[in-house]
Amino acid sequence: MADEYKPPALPSPFTNTTPAPTLLAQGAEAHLYKTVSLDPSIPAALKVRPSKPYRHPVLDRRLTRQRIIQEARCLVKLVREGVSVPAVLAMDWEGQGAEESAWGGAWLMMEWVEGPVVRVVLEQWEAWMKKNAASLDESQLQKEEDRVRGLMKRIGHTLGGLHKAGVVHGDLTTSNLMLRSPAQDTTDSPTGVSMEGEVVLIDFGLAGQSTQDEDRAVDLYVLERAIGSTHPRSEPSFEEVLHGYRESHKGTGSTLKRLEDVRMRGRKRSMIG
Amino acid sequence: MALKLETINIPHLPASLPVHVALYRNVQNSAFLRQQLLAGNAEFEYAFIDASLIAESFRKLGIADSTKDLLIVKVSVTPEITHDSVAAHLESSVEGTSVPFDDMTLSEISDITKIKKLYKLGALPSPAAKPDASQPHQDEARRRLELSMLGAIALRGS
Amino acid sequence: MIAIGMEGSANKLGVGIMLHPEDGSPPQVLANIRHTYVSPPGEGFLPKDTARHHRAWVVKLVKKSLKEARVSVDDVDCICFTKGPGMGAPLQSVVVAARMLSLLWNKPLVGVNHCVGHIEMGRLITGATNPVVLYVSGGNTQVIAYSSQRYRIFGETLDIAVGNCLDRFARTLHISNDPAPGYNIEQLAKQGKQLVDLPYVVKGMDVSFSGLLAAIDGLAAQWGLGGEEAAKEDADKQASTAGETQIIPETDGKPTRADLCFSLQETVFSMLVEITERAMAHVGSKQVLIVGGVGSNERLQEMMGIMARDRGGSVYATDERFCIDNGIMIAQAGMLAYQTGFRTPLKESTCTQRFRTDEVFVKWRED
Repeated sequence: MADEYKPPALPSPFTNTTPAPTLLAQGAEAHLYKTVSLDPSIPAALKVRPSKPYRHPVLDRRLTRQRIIQEARCLVKLVREGVSVPAVLAMDWEGQGAEESAWGGAWLMMEWVEGPVVRVVLEQWEAWMKKNAASLDESQLQKEEDRVRGLMKRIGHTLGGLHKAGVVHGDLTTSNLMLRSPAQDTTDSPTGVSMEGEVVLIDFGLAGQSTQDEDRAVDLYVLERAIGSTHPRSEPSFEEVLHGYRESHKGTGSTLKRLEDVRMRGRKRSMIG
Repeated sequence: MALKLETINIPHLPASLPVHVALYRNVQNSAFLRQQLLAGNAEFEYAFIDASLIAESFRKLGIADSTKDLLIVKVSVTPEITHDSVAAHLESSVEGTSVPFDDMTLSEISDITKIKKLYKLGALPSPAAKPDASQPHQDEARRRLELSMLGAIALRGS
Repeated sequence: MIAIGMEGSANKLGVGIMLHPEDGSPPQVLANIRHTYVSPPGEGFLPKDTARHHRAWVVKLVKKSLKEARVSVDDVDCICFTKGPGMGAPLQSVVVAARMLSLLWNKPLVGVNHCVGHIEMGRLITGATNPVVLYVSGGNTQVIAYSSQRYRIFGETLDIAVGNCLDRFARTLHISNDPAPGYNIEQLAKQGKQLVDLPYVVKGMDVSFSGLLAAIDGLAAQWGLGGEEAAKEDADKQASTAGETQIIPETDGKPTRADLCFSLQETVFSMLVEITERAMAHVGSKQVLIVGGVGSNERLQEMMGIMARDRGGSVYATDERFCIDNGIMIAQAGMLAYQTGFRTPLKESTCTQRFRTDEVFVKWRED
């Protein structure tokens, strides 16, 4: 390719930040940096949504602005409701200057969550199991199975809390679930993979406020498919997500019933227009 | 009693723009200080950053004639504004007791009921007035209130 | 080894002949012939008419391809056909032809998933080794990535396919279906300037177009831009201003037909690029391969290219010979399966309208 790749410049005021924020990940729509809050001893996550040059500028501004505000609103609401998500510390959605050529992105500074994403946890676990499962005896295998099922159940609980608060995530994958590292980890497993810690939901870039069974069921279905495609070995444990979800609060029955419909639709989805 | 003026370098601002923060209790001349702000006295340019929100923040958060506890923030926007110049000016203008600008002192001063009303956080559990390590859920309540308030501030104007 | 591939899942009938040299050197396309059933403006292609078209042309195309490839029937190792997904009647007319040839020539049959055909041909032509695949056509909209011997669907349309959305709007505007409605929308969109607000629906890696189509159809009706008369008016205006200096008319915010095509493309393609980017981030891939008829749209390729560049990757697209439905892709995917020992017994040589990409066991890949 003739065009050299250059990561986009940081938005103001982070060009001044000392030490400079470190880029952790280039997600689909945002760059995630680790930086500090106003207090240099408190780490913070900085999510920058750069302008997307592939989109028409009018559409780009509309989407960037709409999404960062939507995301922040959902997070603020969830923090108030006590759902475990990173808190919002500061944000800006206007970009620099109003002129057409200006940097049209937006940023959101959030509380730093220390711990791994569930995707990595499951990948490491699956990789270990693929290689070494044969060396485990029946009870060890059962124990490993139980650990994954326990994690799935906690995920279900957290999702229940999310939906109860009137928010749907819109992009539930195992990359958007974290485990907040506990002060003391008591993991005892030959895999060496810890599954402990509070489940924290992250990346609310596609979230919205809704209490509709349909939206909630789609949330669960999206996660089910994501686990099926990314973690084939853990797929059978998905039912535990639903168990945890069912237990989380009253009124999940109608959502879970709707999930059946959503699944049917998915499978039967016509492949011809 | 010596003035406890903190000079802070904000990590996201250039080193040439330190911020000076002082906290006073038992202030006696709030009416005078407020008048200086209202009159736009250039020597008394303190704290307010978002010009369009001055009226709003002034009414809700700003100094009133009856203010006893006062937080003062000053940014060194020109090289002439230094720790010493700010300290000298405050010592000559503010009649009150200078106290340390820290979490402990602030949490003694903060009016939780007022804060909750201002940021529409009435549904949240109220933390105790003082942090208490033996009461972890109190800490959690304080944390949740604090983070909810930060979120509300970040979202203003959206 | 030589495979003949036969495709007819929609309005294109394609026959291709593929050679996989015994010495392991790169596969060669010996013939790739297509004949398209074009319906009149304002109309879609109906299954029965399309099937009739395929029946009328299939023998001619097979003969012509053998001649072009300079191979005799004896050289052919297997006959590959599209098993699905697609429109029932057209699929059936081609499967009957394939079965007949199999019996006549005594050659084994290999049933192929149409989507897998697109993916394998795209990989072969572009050299993309393990890309995220955006498959966009009149019948399909999927974001696919390979994992553990399946082409897994990460995202797809929740209602109509993107190509169907474009085709149906072309019908609303009474745009010609020759050579393809999407092609003509693309040309008209190039004159569009004003972006109108349209519903933008992305859920995770899934998209939805039906609300958008209803909205833009509504705009066309509201501004009197749909139907045969508006199409004629537009054509006349084009003819009269041809060669003259273009004077930009005072629009008063009223969109033109071109503006609507432009807005439609900008919006739906942004949605597609967005879900593709999300899939790339999710699987950690830097390559994108666009396949399917809509993949030949240059604006979509351009947008995808910018996205891929900004991720430090690149986009792979094929031209209309391989992007639009064809027989050679069926031969290619069929051959890969055939080489692993896969055969479709005569008794099972049926076709099916619904055949999900992830149902196919990809035995020929081991990465």
